[in-house]
Amino acid sequence: MFRPPRLPFGLSSRCRTYATRKPEKPPARFPDPLKNDSNAVVTVLQDDSNLTFIYRPPPSVPSPHSTTLDPASPLLKSPTPSNGSGGPFPPLLRPSSYKPEPERVSREVIEKIRELRLSEPGTYSRTKLAKMFNCTPNFISKIAALRRPQRKQFRGKLEAEHVAVRERWGERKATVVAIRQKRREFW
Amino acid sequence: MGHVSRRLSSSLAVSTAHLKHFPPREATLRTKKATFDPETWAALQPPPPSALMAFANRIGLRAVLTTPTAVQRACTHKSFLDLHARYYPLSPPPPNNANLAVLGNALMGLFASEHLHATYPHLPTRVLKAAVSAHVGPLTCAGVAQEMGAVPLLRWHRQPATPTSPALLHSEALASIPRALAALVYQERCLASARKFVHSFFLNRRVDVRAMLKFRDPKRALMETVAKFQREPPKSRLLKETGRFSNSPIFVVGIYTGADKLGEGFGSSLKMAEYRAAEDALHRLYLTRTPPHVLKLPSSTFGEHADIYKLTDAAPYSPGELGESEALYASSGRSGVLAPRRRAPEVES
Repeated sequence: MFRPPRLPFGLSSRCRTYATRKPEKPPARFPDPLKNDSNAVVTVLQDDSNLTFIYRPPPSVPSPHSTTLDPASPLLKSPTPSNGSGGPFPPLLRPSSYKPEPERVSREVIEKIRELRLSEPGTYSRTKLAKMFNCTPNFISKIAALRRPQRKQFRGKLEAEHVAVRERWGERKATVVAIRQKRREFW
Repeated sequence: MGHVSRRLSSSLAVSTAHLKHFPPREATLRTKKATFDPETWAALQPPPPSALMAFANRIGLRAVLTTPTAVQRACTHKSFLDLHARYYPLSPPPPNNANLAVLGNALMGLFASEHLHATYPHLPTRVLKAAVSAHVGPLTCAGVAQEMGAVPLLRWHRQPATPTSPALLHSEALASIPRALAALVYQERCLASARKFVHSFFLNRRVDVRAMLKFRDPKRALMETVAKFQREPPKSRLLKETGRFSNSPIFVVGIYTGADKLGEGFGSSLKMAEYRAAEDALHRLYLTRTPPHVLKLPSSTFGEHADIYKLTDAAPYSPGELGESEALYASSGRSGVLAPRRRAPEVES
């Protein structure tokens, strides 16, 4: 039940209060990170010195130094067996990673895609074929790549459209895009 | 101080005590035709023997370079011959370091590439080439020659660019000196001594190999590399984040294959953190180095006091691990080697 803020009993009889007073909040108590650390290893010495050793590993990147006797890359070591007892993993970066992989297409379907794509690349575009056969446009590019002159032609058309769009940008937009591209170089 | 005297005192080791005739007769001759250029004359004179032997002692090769003529040969570039022949056509051409420099260059390339390949077994080929150039390339050789103190002893002649050859630079002429010294050590002693010389002057220098690794698309390179090692395809996971919708977010992303974390990266956007994580994963693989006490070089199989034509009892040798070569991607099926264009076969009618 909501209790309106009141002064303590002794004071309320002696002085005026106002309804516009700000509500009193209890003093903020923050959990001590030194006490609430799950990574800390606490060792209490049993002898009469009464000492407690607390080891807290730093939250920093593991050392990149790698030698052939103790490689830092798991590719050079045998893979850890992935059973259920490994514990929960951090979440995947993108929501689309949680979608199941589509079924692998069969050889006949690949031949069909190649036939359609190479016969009429204008009508049978990558996105259209991807929708027809339930795969991705990049997959279509890989299995049914066009000849080099045709690829150049399509790329030239696309580039011309993009250039036309870029011409219509104002100075501010062009500057922002240039800054973003420059930032990308420093990744 | 005039220009000539300033140059003589600063860059050339010229003293007159060891010259047969001083002042030169051409300087005092007074005819209408004769012109005497003191600068050219100074450039033509050999350095004093004391300077040459001091140089040999300074670099620790007193036992190999026993006479001043040996040191002089190592410090004379082949461009000097034209200048010498023009002014002293009757005297024999001075010995130069052209052959020695070629041999020494080959030896240095051998020692550097075997050392770097044994040290970084998984390094990509193009980065290995860049690292070899950084250790024993022309600019490094010129720098080492300057550190040795060979600049006043170098005898050369600047040559402008011709239609068939580029211009000769001072650094190129200087670079021939350490190469010639390596070849002399090999000739006078053995392969092992030449290797020791190259290791102590060139391969002990610290070179940042990490800065030479640059990727066009590190995520794709990592995907291909993981497939080559026959592991599960890499998946990016968000390890830590803060300030997602503020103006200074920080994301820490790790790339995992199965249960193993390949690499970790941070960034102010998710894409940037993922990019850096892929780079970190590839760095951890490519920059794996062999510890020095385990390092075994292939040229040690020749044994002590041997050259490449004579086999002696070789020391026991166990080869280091052979790394996986770099996974190529976006190469359109070509390895980067240019094949000659095939002409269409002529149709016989």
